[in-house]
Amino acid sequence: MEQIVFGIGITALTGALATVAGSAEDTESNIGSQGDPNSQVQLAPQMGFLHRIFNKAVAGEPPAYGLWCALGAGLAWAFMAMQINAILAIVLGCVLAVFVQGVYATTAYLGRTASLAKFGQPVYVDIIKSMTTVTMAHAFIAIFCTVALCQLINGALGHPFPLPLLALIWGIALGAAGSATGNPYYGKERQYQNQKFGAGVPISASGNIVRYAEAGERNSIDNGFFTHKIGGSASGICFGLIVFLELWRTILFEKIYAGWGAIAVGVLLILIFTVIDRYIEVWARKNYGPYTAAKEAES
Amino acid sequence: MSAVAAKPQAGGAMNPTAMAVGVVLLIIILGACWVVSPNLGLMALIGIIIGGVLIGFGTHFVPVGGAPAAMGQAPGIATGVAMLAAGAGLAGLFGGAWAAEQGMVVAVVTGGIGGGLMMAITCLMVNFVYVFGMGIPAASGKVLHDPITGDSQAEYKSQGTEGHGLPFVSFVGGVIGGILGGAGGTLIYLELLGLYEATFPTMMNATAAQVLPVAVSVAGMFAVALFLVNAVLTAYNITGTIEGPHDPKFKRWPRAIVASAVASALCGFVAILIVAM
Amino acid sequence: MSVKVEVIEGGVPHNKIMIAGLVSTLVCIYLTYLNAFTNTEMFSFFGGLAVVSALIWGSHTIKVLCSYGIGTGVPSAGMIAFGSGVIAMLLATKFGMLAPIVALVLAAVIGFILGYVSNNILNMKIPAMVQALTEMAVVGALTVMGFAALITGGFSFVGLTTSKAVFMGLPMTSYGNSFLGGGLIAVAFLLGAIAIQHPFNACLGPGWKQDRMLMLTAECGFLSMIVAAVMSFALISAGSAIISLIIALIGWFYTYSQYFVLSKRDAAAWLDSKPIPDTEGH
Repeated sequence: MEQIVFGIGITALTGALATVAGSAEDTESNIGSQGDPNSQVQLAPQMGFLHRIFNKAVAGEPPAYGLWCALGAGLAWAFMAMQINAILAIVLGCVLAVFVQGVYATTAYLGRTASLAKFGQPVYVDIIKSMTTVTMAHAFIAIFCTVALCQLINGALGHPFPLPLLALIWGIALGAAGSATGNPYYGKERQYQNQKFGAGVPISASGNIVRYAEAGERNSIDNGFFTHKIGGSASGICFGLIVFLELWRTILFEKIYAGWGAIAVGVLLILIFTVIDRYIEVWARKNYGPYTAAKEAES
Repeated sequence: MSAVAAKPQAGGAMNPTAMAVGVVLLIIILGACWVVSPNLGLMALIGIIIGGVLIGFGTHFVPVGGAPAAMGQAPGIATGVAMLAAGAGLAGLFGGAWAAEQGMVVAVVTGGIGGGLMMAITCLMVNFVYVFGMGIPAASGKVLHDPITGDSQAEYKSQGTEGHGLPFVSFVGGVIGGILGGAGGTLIYLELLGLYEATFPTMMNATAAQVLPVAVSVAGMFAVALFLVNAVLTAYNITGTIEGPHDPKFKRWPRAIVASAVASALCGFVAILIVAM
Repeated sequence: MSVKVEVIEGGVPHNKIMIAGLVSTLVCIYLTYLNAFTNTEMFSFFGGLAVVSALIWGSHTIKVLCSYGIGTGVPSAGMIAFGSGVIAMLLATKFGMLAPIVALVLAAVIGFILGYVSNNILNMKIPAMVQALTEMAVVGALTVMGFAALITGGFSFVGLTTSKAVFMGLPMTSYGNSFLGGGLIAVAFLLGAIAIQHPFNACLGPGWKQDRMLMLTAECGFLSMIVAAVMSFALISAGSAIISLIIALIGWFYTYSQYFVLSKRDAAAWLDSKPIPDTEGH
């Protein structure tokens, strides 16, 4: 019993860490225009829309976060092998991983922008200086939380995988969850704020991203500020739920019927999420209505 | 701007000769495995091949829209197909590896459910952001009616787009893809782990408990590597984006089955040779 | 991400880069055997140099492959390269002195078959596919091998699975505290997989320049070498790790500043805190 209570406590802690990690990850990638919305930032100068948006295409978010988290964990593992205290080791490992992330971010911005010279897109040195540091700060939060939750899973809950391998798995899952949930909100809602609300961006509008702010020119920190409110929080909930429910069903129900208990709970959870999804889909169809027939009623 | 080199169009057609060559290759590798390690190795290799095929087949179900999905221009999840499948499958592998001591069946099913749960949550949150964050209902661009619910799709497509969000059939496809991927990844891991646990102690002249971390780590790393190889091959098969099981591209799966079987057999055989030589 | 890619000609031909990369990687990997001959770990840094030269070759291969527009992102190419390479590399570690050659041949066979599978069975019909996947599997295998040599001082299977530690005054063999047992291979895997695809992914576009991309590859290689050298403190003697770290830092600093110079050369303008330039029509 005591062990289960301990396990639930750790599970709750990892869930909370995962939520913070997901939220920071999405905000970081949106400030850097990483992931799929990057294609529009890249396309805009080619259509004649020069901009001052940070464009760091290191890789898709899943492989990039797979590396940052695995690297942080590998370094933390090495520091722990040198008899350094675990918390200090994780912090030091994540600091070095963030250094790598920052260097990759600057080279990605320089490379992409220099290759757009034909269209007159200049390199802004102040973007490198001010945006990279902000993404590094968010990346540190995301990496630290992920490595810490992997350490908890490995050390306190006894998962057999070594720390770097766990961090690779959860880093890729973090990037997948964050990019799936957060990308549309940045790509459609923020980059194309000038397009109609409640509809997808027409393909003909591609590249015409918003480049000016309420006052002056839009910079990427504004984007992080905007997307964090829904996209970032949703990504956080998404990754937090994934980690929490996966651990929770294992810790509580693993012993029931030799493992089938956890499986049954997992199936039940999937069914619950399916019902919620169907409800949301029908709700949207009913309340927003079809585009072709009910356009007047909507406006 | 595009000056992509004149490339023969990669279509949906099958290439029977190449498929036959693939099957022959598969048989040769199985035969070679039977020669070097008739019992333990061959059984493990068959498990690895089944796992690889599950991953390759499962990746076809995952609805991925790539960059256009991020602008609400195309349905699906806005990320890369290989990496989303990897995210789900590896989350499943995590659960499956944890349940490894409870037996093969329980562990594989646990891995599958883990992958399915990850995809269910992700797909739900995607629709959540589309509906409540951006006010956009889900609509498919490839079919007129959702094959599961029968909802009409065309009039919910906003102007100038190919659809957006995740219609119910895509949601179900995502969950199925996660389940198959998670189960496949776990199966590969368990086969390799069983093999390495049995052979490492004699090979490295140590007790089973001592080599356990090495066996777990190597088996886990190979499971991840095989997963990525299979997922990327499948991504090549569907050339980037797919809406789910109702997409016409889904019909290409027989090619991916052969490809995944050959690739898994090859990589699995090499992984088995480490202990069989 | 699907960004349109162009075929850009010019610069050093690919075959030249391939041969130079292959030879220098093998030479550097073999130079790590100086560790075994002199019974020290001081020459581990040659593993890092092997990583850098293998990556330079590999990133150019990715450029050749991805110029055809493979329909999915550039990063996936790095994943398949290392996914097949890491398995070949681990089998090769059992062959003693022949390990690098075995890794080369084995990875080439795996890569060739994977290339055939994608091109014919999956019907991709990309002319460069078979050769590119063959090369990338080799690069993947040799890069992981280089990282292994850099972090542990060698790449024999025994060396990668054990480490000697002194516990309560008694020498002990630890299996968990090793390159494989501790899972450091996962870090080496991803360090290489990102570093091999990043240069082309970052430099693609109409203004792609070969020298700028290859300089970036060298920078990525040295950057990976820095963190790998830090990790090597856990498994080799501090003095040897410091040598690797200093070489990596010097190499990284030089290539990073050179990359800035080259980017400045190619950029349309190099501005600090300036507004968006006016263009006609918008």
